Amino acid sequence: MGNLIVRRVTQMLLIMLTVSLLLFAIFDSDQFREKAAVAELGGFGVATLSDSDYHEWLERKGLNAPFLSRYGQWLRSVLHGELGRSNEKDIAVSALLGESLANTAILAFFVFLIMIPVSLALGVLAGMNAGSPVDRVISVVAVFTTSIPQIATAVLLTVILGLGLGWVPTKSAMTDGWSFRALVLPLLTLLLYDIGYLVRMTRAAMTEVMASQYIRTAVLKGLPYRRVILRHALRNALIVPVTLIFLELNGLLSQVVVVEVFFQYAGFGRMLFDAANFGDIQVLQAATLVAVCVAVGSQLLSDAAYVFLNPRVRFA
Amino acid sequence: MDRREFIRFAALLGVAAGTAYAMAGMSAPAMAGGTLPFPAAEPGAKRGGKLRIGEMVARMEDPATYNWNEMANQTRPILEYLTLVGPDNVVRPMLMESWKPSADLKTWTLQVRSGVMWHNGENLTAEHVAWNIRRWSDPALGSSNLGLSTFAALTEYTGDKDSKGQAVRRPLKNGVEVLDSHTLRLNLGKPVLSVAEDCGEFCTLVVHPSFKAPLSHNPIGTGAYTLAELRVGDRCILKRITKTTDGADFHYWGGEVFLDEIHFYHYEQENQTAALASGSVDAIYELPVEQIELARSIPGAQILSVETAQTLCCRMQVDVKPFDDIRVRRAVVKAADNAAIKKLVFGEHGLVAGNFHVAPVHPEYFPLPPLARDVAGAKQLLRDAGYDKGIDLNIVVGNNDGPWQQAACEALRDQVKEAGINLAVTVVPATKFWEIWRKVPFGATSWAHRPLGTMALAQAYRTGASWNESHFSDPEFDQALSDAEATIDIPTRKAKMQKVEKILQDAAVVVQPMWRPVFILASAKVHGYKAHPARQMQLTKVWLS
Repeated sequence: MGNLIVRRVTQMLLIMLTVSLLLFAIFDSDQFREKAAVAELGGFGVATLSDSDYHEWLERKGLNAPFLSRYGQWLRSVLHGELGRSNEKDIAVSALLGESLANTAILAFFVFLIMIPVSLALGVLAGMNAGSPVDRVISVVAVFTTSIPQIATAVLLTVILGLGLGWVPTKSAMTDGWSFRALVLPLLTLLLYDIGYLVRMTRAAMTEVMASQYIRTAVLKGLPYRRVILRHALRNALIVPVTLIFLELNGLLSQVVVVEVFFQYAGFGRMLFDAANFGDIQVLQAATLVAVCVAVGSQLLSDAAYVFLNPRVRFA
Repeated sequence: MDRREFIRFAALLGVAAGTAYAMAGMSAPAMAGGTLPFPAAEPGAKRGGKLRIGEMVARMEDPATYNWNEMANQTRPILEYLTLVGPDNVVRPMLMESWKPSADLKTWTLQVRSGVMWHNGENLTAEHVAWNIRRWSDPALGSSNLGLSTFAALTEYTGDKDSKGQAVRRPLKNGVEVLDSHTLRLNLGKPVLSVAEDCGEFCTLVVHPSFKAPLSHNPIGTGAYTLAELRVGDRCILKRITKTTDGADFHYWGGEVFLDEIHFYHYEQENQTAALASGSVDAIYELPVEQIELARSIPGAQILSVETAQTLCCRMQVDVKPFDDIRVRRAVVKAADNAAIKKLVFGEHGLVAGNFHVAPVHPEYFPLPPLARDVAGAKQLLRDAGYDKGIDLNIVVGNNDGPWQQAACEALRDQVKEAGINLAVTVVPATKFWEIWRKVPFGATSWAHRPLGTMALAQAYRTGASWNESHFSDPEFDQALSDAEATIDIPTRKAKMQKVEKILQDAAVVVQPMWRPVFILASAKVHGYKAHPARQMQLTKVWLS
């Protein structure tokens, strides 16, 4: 186990180094420098600059410094815990990152809080009774909700719950302070997709377990059905869904881009979107580090959970 | 000369718009009196309250290099212009009280308004204004102001060329001259008609000479509001200013102001109507045409609109193959049906344009006969040019001003197909478009509203102009335009515009389908909020019930 953690962490650091170098290399191009100039002065403003004035402008903004010195400087400051300053939003990247991560964490917390019990219960229920009307209904609904893209779900929910019934605000900008009502639409949008997915996976695992020899043996030797399900079936059936739940942490980080941008929720996804739009390199770099960290971290957690639940792969 | 033209004409000479309306025997829009540029307070107007506006909340770096209108909207209650172009497209004196050109339009005397107080307690002087004008004319600043005729005429060519072959400019030595504490003189390198209009363009907000970017760190202005909080992409809070920075009472020159606070909340363009519908904001920056039906369903909401000179120029670079052959350009223009595109995109709103970039809202607009579509003629032209089997073209559009631009290009694609032109529409992200807008051979660029017809022509079609994206160059056109620009009298100028417009139209440089309307949306309690052709939010006399 200790070995695994060391391996994963080393892997993470290497990925971070490679990705940040790649990003820096992409942003070192003339094309990006022009993008930065256009972002600041506008297409019409840049058009008024002569070539030498343009280069002077780049010099003033520190965009003309040699690649290695800029990368080295960035690396040094990151090692000192300094993530730099957002060019677009004029605040420290660490503050921006902290705030938006906290907002996304709130969203993610509620997603998991509702998704895990609901989808495991439904999935197990469907898997236990494979082929029954209950299974059919649950499966069809699950396939339906996963097959609608989130952007469509978001529009549908806005029209019905926000504009039609007027129960919840249409956008989640929360200009008057934090409110759970404003969180409802992004939450539902994420949940509809994620629950559907997890229900299908749980159902598949449960069906497979229910068809196995040892369950038949357990039923035949006269154990109460309840005990068969809870003691024998669930423990094995839940291995896959539980590892998936941890991986979902990572999946959520990319899903929130669509949902947060659509609902104008000030989370990690929107920050990433804005930074990409404006070529805000310091923010992009920091966001990438976080994304790599979450990706590798969730993998590690998922591995650990797998090992814990499945004695067959437990390390000596 | 009709009455409207007379008013424009009088305003140009520095006659107060109110007086001009009176001289024309027309009832002027009620003004706050004297030489104030604002409308008079409505009877029953109430003081107090905060107005919540939905728009993209942008950073406030340097007003001279602003590239989003939203930046200027956040700044307008803090900093002010020398002149104010009203919702009726008439320019009125703001921080300068009057202006007077010499007969040759090369020397302009500007009178700075007296009794204007900065937020730090100082008085506005001609020296402060001169500092701003010199800054706007500095070629190293990268400000789009240098594209405006007035500030371009305050520079001269050094004779050198940079590595890309662009001529290098430097500021004129004695361009801006301070005569006394409140008078200054512009000694322009060539005649300019649009000094007053240029001084009200959106990057010409006047900053205090102590200005250091970013503005949001220490905004010192002359307006009635100051910045309380700015969180880019989230909110921008402005508050009434009552004390100067050194603790004395602040006196605002512009008379009574009603709102205590102005809050801008960040909503992307397509989200603003929905935000107003759920009561999160009281007014929005712009109502996109495709959301008008949605807006009509909001109880009590006011939909306001205005006709403008904002447009989409599907322009072809005249020195790039295949557009260097005028027959190809003419074929594209002939195969297009401008009126049909306008109708498809904006329905009964907006005005049809005639491919010469002067709009009916411009005072010197000369109406050329409407264009007729001629598919057979277009086919013949293509055959003559050697494209018997049709031709493949590609137009790049960035939707900088909304998805209607793409809709217009797609309509164009379907129309020209009948003439054997296979037009592909390449959509690029809005930010990407501004990196390539001058480089693509065939591109659809959105052009903002300008109060005078000659302004856009000078910026976009004169030989060698910074924003000449089509590379159009015709000495006869340049001469005719200069001629029109040197004419103050509007009927005479209008007559001269016929030649200018005709040359440009015949050269088939652009397919310019329409002049787009601007719609805004406000809830029932907002009063005095008007749609502006250049989408300037002018909030000085807005009040809430």
